[in-house]
Amino acid sequence: MQLGVARSLERWAATWARRRQGADAHAIALKRRRIYILPTRFGVVFSTMVFAMLLGSLNYAASLGFALTFLLAGLCFVVMHHCHNNLLGATIKFVGAAPVFAGERAEFKVAVGNDAAAARFEIELKYREHTAGPVDVADGATEVLRIGLPTEHRGWVALDRFRVETRYPARLFRAWTWVHMDTRCLVYPRPADPGRPLPDGAGGGVGGRPHPGDDDFAGLRSAAPGDPPQRIAWKAYARNDLLLLKEFASGTGEPCLLAWDLLPELGVEQRLSQLVRWCLDADAAGRGIALRLPGQDIPPGLGPKHLAVCLEALALFDAGMDARARAPQARAGMPAVGQRREQSPRALAEPPR
Amino acid sequence: MTAALAMRRVDLSLESKRLLWTAAIVVGTSLPHWPTLAAWMPVLLLTAIGWRFGIELYRWPTPPRPVRLALAVGAFCAVLLQYRTLNGVEAGSALLVVMVALKFLESRDQRDQLVLIMIAYFLMFASLLSERGPLVAAYVVLLVWLTTVALIQIGRRGEFLSYRTTGALSGRLLLHALPLMAVLFMLFPRLPGPLWAIPGSTSSGASGLNDTMSPGDITNLGLSDEVAFRVEFDGQPPRANDLYWRGPSLTHFNGRTWSMLQGGRRGERVADTIEYRGESTSYRVMLEPDGRNWLFALDMPARWTGDNSLRMGSDYQLGTFFGGPRPRRLDYRVTSYVDYSAREPLTEREREMFSALPAESSPRARALASTWVTDEPSGAEIIERAMAYLRSQPFQYTLTPPALGAQPVDEFLFDTREGFCEHYASALTVLLRAAGLPARIVMGYQGGELNGIGGYYIVRQSDAHAWTEVWLVDEGWVRVDAVAAVAPERVALGFDGVAAGDAAAAALRIAWGRQAAFVWDAIETRWQGWIIGYGPELQRALLESLGFDNLRRAQRSAVLLGLAVTTTVALLLGLSLYLSWRRRRRTAIDAAALCFASFVRQLQRHEVQARAPSEGPCAYAERAAGALPHAAARIRGVVELYLRARYEPDADGAALAALAAEIAAFRVARA
Repeated sequence: MQLGVARSLERWAATWARRRQGADAHAIALKRRRIYILPTRFGVVFSTMVFAMLLGSLNYAASLGFALTFLLAGLCFVVMHHCHNNLLGATIKFVGAAPVFAGERAEFKVAVGNDAAAARFEIELKYREHTAGPVDVADGATEVLRIGLPTEHRGWVALDRFRVETRYPARLFRAWTWVHMDTRCLVYPRPADPGRPLPDGAGGGVGGRPHPGDDDFAGLRSAAPGDPPQRIAWKAYARNDLLLLKEFASGTGEPCLLAWDLLPELGVEQRLSQLVRWCLDADAAGRGIALRLPGQDIPPGLGPKHLAVCLEALALFDAGMDARARAPQARAGMPAVGQRREQSPRALAEPPR
Repeated sequence: MTAALAMRRVDLSLESKRLLWTAAIVVGTSLPHWPTLAAWMPVLLLTAIGWRFGIELYRWPTPPRPVRLALAVGAFCAVLLQYRTLNGVEAGSALLVVMVALKFLESRDQRDQLVLIMIAYFLMFASLLSERGPLVAAYVVLLVWLTTVALIQIGRRGEFLSYRTTGALSGRLLLHALPLMAVLFMLFPRLPGPLWAIPGSTSSGASGLNDTMSPGDITNLGLSDEVAFRVEFDGQPPRANDLYWRGPSLTHFNGRTWSMLQGGRRGERVADTIEYRGESTSYRVMLEPDGRNWLFALDMPARWTGDNSLRMGSDYQLGTFFGGPRPRRLDYRVTSYVDYSAREPLTEREREMFSALPAESSPRARALASTWVTDEPSGAEIIERAMAYLRSQPFQYTLTPPALGAQPVDEFLFDTREGFCEHYASALTVLLRAAGLPARIVMGYQGGELNGIGGYYIVRQSDAHAWTEVWLVDEGWVRVDAVAAVAPERVALGFDGVAAGDAAAAALRIAWGRQAAFVWDAIETRWQGWIIGYGPELQRALLESLGFDNLRRAQRSAVLLGLAVTTTVALLLGLSLYLSWRRRRRTAIDAAALCFASFVRQLQRHEVQARAPSEGPCAYAERAAGALPHAAARIRGVVELYLRARYEPDADGAALAALAAEIAAFRVARA
């Protein structure tokens, strides 16, 4: 009951904060007006003790008792300022969240930066019941905090609102700020169990052949100035200190055509799961992938980028309104999303509206 | 303990470090209580701590819950049995220590330790309720600092921070809290009485005057150096032989022992019949606790302020009349007149009472006195004859008189003739009563020692004195000091003047030792007077000095509260500004970067490309110098100043100012 009241109070306060703060950009510096502070439960007990001391001093007319009482009261006050200052001016930046498959943990990375000349201590990140940290941030340093959320469904997951908070020093106070950033993590459909073989007889009707020299890994040669850095074999460099360039030739295997229509016996999600499984299998086998979904065609291609495009299309596949409702952009307060989608080449993967 | 372990370079786990700190704090804060605790309590505390470390380090079993519960109940009952109450400082602290011991034994996590740390603060507070010396206060200040370090370290979720960081932080927190403490200390309204009943302390020693006097029983007057009270005169102090500090008077004599009146005339004085003459003397008395409820004032007090229950009794003695012993120091101000006449009419009954002598006592003294009254002399003449007798006979003032037998007054007057003030006062009073004059003995102190460093007088127990007061028809009560007739130097020079031969006193007289003792006494007295004694009276004085005169108590409290609130708010604002200013100031090296950025923008107007993020200031300087050859030297100069202001470890505001000035003066002539 008590907890319920506390929670609804907190929710109300958070909504109020959201209204007055507005949405945040990807990187923010914490200003005075968005840092909130309240005593912790320990702080309340501590101040009760100080009050008891005051009564005792009054009763015994004990001057030194008064002195200690007022010293501790002053201490509480100064601690409050230190707690507040511990957050003030810190920078919060959403670093990113790598896409995951449904069922895995989506890991959101948030960097806490400290431009000030003094270290900041015990900064925590809180999202609902999840906590990351605490972490100490030295002066001029940046620390990355990670919050892992379990995922169940494909689509976007986001930290709609998280807290950056601190109780340093002495745990008497908790200073925090609410952050409303566009933090999104793409969740691919859960891959179906392996077993169903890749469909054969690809190529028919699929537009275009894979671009030779661009798709299939052929070998390594020594790098020369002017070579694209994406092609440098960094792992090899780490091993032997030689700069080598990955060369690609035309695909060794036939590209698979993975089409929605191949699996008429399955439901929507199972179909998507199976398509994801096939995509992964094809990629592992070094074969190109062409994906054909209702209203959406992805030409054959090869390589991790292409795989990501395919998986994203599957993750965001919209077979009706239910998928749309699950996506976070349907929620209030995610204004930046649409804009970004326009600029992204992945916009192709979006279902038509 | 921590230091020793650190020297052996033992890598303690975080949990052990937390426990160790908690244990150290708990033991340290309970230490001032140990003298008043029953012996088993510190033992319990140390055992509990030891056991808890056994659990931590050697996996000893934790006592199961029923055992812990039984321990708690048992300890609670034991405290109750020991002190018969839970009210009061001693019983309360004992209970607190026992609770801490049991809590420590069952402490499991950070939260338990934080609770212990909090109780440690309260233990400190409790020790300040009974111990009030500056040394204890200094110890508590040290403890507060250490406990705050522990609070910060244990309050952390992770590894301990460096002790350097936390020590400095703890010190800074307390320093910043200091002004707030000072304001609240001065302005928070104090109450003249307690909120709830305070049980008397059982250990307060009664070292003051007795309420009876039996000359002849004491054969060696102990020279107690203990301070009875201290006196600070507003102006010129009276002459030494006027320094009679009046205390209780003894009226009833049973032949051997003088005692106060039982019932009858004890009580508040109503009719003011004293006539004061000459100059008044105002002073402040800081009275040590002596387990009595009577006060001392220079004969004869006229006006007094201090405790509300301060009254003058019918025998001109000041006292607090709420009954029961006075548990703590008392601070009061009195105005006295050394020249006065106490013309008080006595009823017939009173005359009889003040002249009464037991029938069989002191026959020889009576016989002597009867020879003085044959010619119906005046009272003054009788006194003169008595004093003349004391002067003419070979009386000796000594602190080690022989014991006296069944008729102590006679034996003293006619046989031994050796004694101290009590003997003389008793003998003279008996003689005067035998001569038909109402007389009584007044006890108190005579003299006092000037503490030149503190500018006040110290009156010690060794200054205790007794004299006679006799009632004359025209003059009322008149002081007659028999010792002044026998050993005038005792009255003129004070007690030490007579006891010069005494070894103990001689040891005291070693110059530097005495000086050091004076310095310490002065410190302690200021401490007592201004810190411990700060209460409603001094608050009123403070308000009056601020221009708030003649306020009733409720008004005074309101004004004080108002002042406290406004000053506190002002202080809090100031402190907030200061703390955020400190934070900004600490980023002052970035001010250098800002300055330099403006310089770069300035050069940009002269077609020098802005500094790339990867470009160091020196590289930038060379590039800019190349682009603007006629300003090359000045550009290099600016960069050098910038490097100094930003990166030199000892760079200060001056370096920054130099940089700012150079940049402000920088101009590039159009080529």
